[in-house]
Amino acid sequence: MSDRRPYSATIDRVAVPGGEDLVCRSCGHGLGSADAVWKEVARLDERPLCEAGGSVFEATDPKLLLRRFYCPGCGAALDTETALEGEPFLVDRVRG
Amino acid sequence: MDPMTFSIIRHRLFRIVDEAVITLKHVSGSAITNEGHDLMVSLYRADGSLLMGGVGFLHHLTSAAEACKSIIRRFEGRIREGDIYLLNDPYTAALHTSDIYLVAPIHHDGELVAWSACFVHVYDIGAMNPGGFSPQSPDIFTEGFSSPGIKIVDRGEMVDDVLDTMLNMVRSPEMVTLDLRSMIACNNVARERMQALIGKYGAETVDAAGSELIRQSEDLFRARLRELPDGEWQSRQYLDVDGETAVVRLTMTKTGDRLAFDFTGSSPQSRYAINCTRWASLGGLFAPLFPLLCYDITWNEGVIRPVEMIAPEGSIVNCTRPAPVSVATVAAIQSVNNAACATIGKMLAASDTYRAQATAVWHANHFAIFKFGRNQKGGEAIGILTETFAGAGGARSFADGVEIGGEIPNPISRMANVETVEANFPIRYLFRKRMIDSGGPGEWRGGTGGEMAITPHKAPDGGIHYVISGKGARHPMSDGLAGGLPGAPNRYLWIKPGESSGEASGEASGEASGEDGGDERIPGAANPVSWGVFPLMGEDALYVRWNGGGGFGDPLARDPDRVAEDVRKGLVSRTAAEDIYAVALGDTGAVDRSATERLRSGRLAARLEGEQVS
Repeated sequence: MSDRRPYSATIDRVAVPGGEDLVCRSCGHGLGSADAVWKEVARLDERPLCEAGGSVFEATDPKLLLRRFYCPGCGAALDTETALEGEPFLVDRVRG
Repeated sequence: MDPMTFSIIRHRLFRIVDEAVITLKHVSGSAITNEGHDLMVSLYRADGSLLMGGVGFLHHLTSAAEACKSIIRRFEGRIREGDIYLLNDPYTAALHTSDIYLVAPIHHDGELVAWSACFVHVYDIGAMNPGGFSPQSPDIFTEGFSSPGIKIVDRGEMVDDVLDTMLNMVRSPEMVTLDLRSMIACNNVARERMQALIGKYGAETVDAAGSELIRQSEDLFRARLRELPDGEWQSRQYLDVDGETAVVRLTMTKTGDRLAFDFTGSSPQSRYAINCTRWASLGGLFAPLFPLLCYDITWNEGVIRPVEMIAPEGSIVNCTRPAPVSVATVAAIQSVNNAACATIGKMLAASDTYRAQATAVWHANHFAIFKFGRNQKGGEAIGILTETFAGAGGARSFADGVEIGGEIPNPISRMANVETVEANFPIRYLFRKRMIDSGGPGEWRGGTGGEMAITPHKAPDGGIHYVISGKGARHPMSDGLAGGLPGAPNRYLWIKPGESSGEASGEASGEASGEDGGDERIPGAANPVSWGVFPLMGEDALYVRWNGGGGFGDPLARDPDRVAEDVRKGLVSRTAAEDIYAVALGDTGAVDRSATERLRSGRLAARLEGEQVS
């Protein structure tokens, strides 16, 4: 859609009155305001990487989490990050 | 200046660097230089600013500029034609003591008109541990010979007392001499070719071309930045060392035609030698920036001007003397490389124009393992396992990463032939191959890393020892992008036949305990090793796995036929095909399409039943 601009490789920005919203590129499902943290409205699958990544990750730190963020509308993978327990989400902002 | 003359001079500057690199490789006798390509050559203007960045490890381009400027300050009024200066102090400009800069002024008609600079990782620098990476060093004072600037060639004549003093402090001085002479030869070639260029076109014309080249690069880079969206992107990198974990945090902010890298929040400097100095961090962030954002722009001072760095003093990315830094190039600097690669990749993905150029993080974790001991010829040998330079490509938005496909910070890195290593060390390779499942899963898979194992062979002393600076086994460092998973982390195992797991210890220092899954290809007890000096004696084996590249996109979106092909090639296991990619394969290895569809539908449904954070 021509009125969309990329926020990331999987998420687009759409203009709305007063600002921009984020939407899943695959299905268009809304992910909230671009000023908010979209990861907080995504489906989150968070588990130790040593249990979730396959045998090559079995020796990793049990406290290291693999966070997978999925679109609540279609289930598409939107982003991943690894984080020790208690780490905040990585937050990106795109403007202009 | 007419465009034809400008273009000729520009291309001559490229070729001068190329010829100097060839000279360096041909004269050096070290596999790390002439096979691993752990080197760099660049040209600098009279004031020390970067004129023409060469290939090799790119995090040296800006640090060597500072080395030139430091020499200018220190030796002002005493810099003569034919001089060559040595600088390897990390708190002045260098990255670590074993990466020695030799910088040489270039004169024309008695006037200083430019500089050439190069580095190699010398055979040894006299640190506590052989080879330069010195994991047992508690401070810079135990990391070997270190100079903030000393003249080793005076108007074309070697300063023998200085050279002899340095060689008196290193192991294998004959090899270190060869390293130094390779750099002298390199600088001599660069100087002669520059003087020939200036002789043909005149100093003013060549300098004007250099000035124009820098202006062009700055204009082109600023224009590229203006095409990219404004914003902030975050990444973080964990470094585990001997049971402790440090973190490098980065927020990259792009505003108009400027780019800022802020490392606020990174860990305080470590007692381990994983720290790096401010100049090293600056070089570290430029290493991915040059190839990812300036692939079609000449790498020079013009690219540096729009970039700002914030690195808190006393942190792991801007440590203060006397913090140890000998492992910096494969630790904090590489984490800065990786963090910058991740944020640049995300910024590119947020651009309509450049989204196709986004990449996951490539080979993100060098292992530094230096073998040392008496070899089969009776001589003392020291040498790195150059497989660390083999790397693994990160997945792109349109293609898989290249298997064992190098790395971003060094476009020409590669590993030595097995035969080269076996000819110089009393060891045999049991195997060296691509590592199954090591490429980060994604719609586009990260390139596989590798695995290898070595064992003593015809060793006069029954074996050898090795220094390992092996961080990064507990945290993957090759981040995925756009829903892709990280590449597999490194692994280092000491395998002792005839023992049960966990018994290996003794003369080793550092971690050498704990049980680990064995490898049926190498019978015996497998014990993780990570930091220190360890023996490789008798029938011991050392198993090393190096990381794969990060994946790009959703693994469930990967073409099932590509997964089947990966399984056929031994790059992905059948287990991962089903568990990670949700691809069902029949007995022949062909895709069972209806079963795959059911698997993937089920996985998507399960995702939608997951936790919603808010």
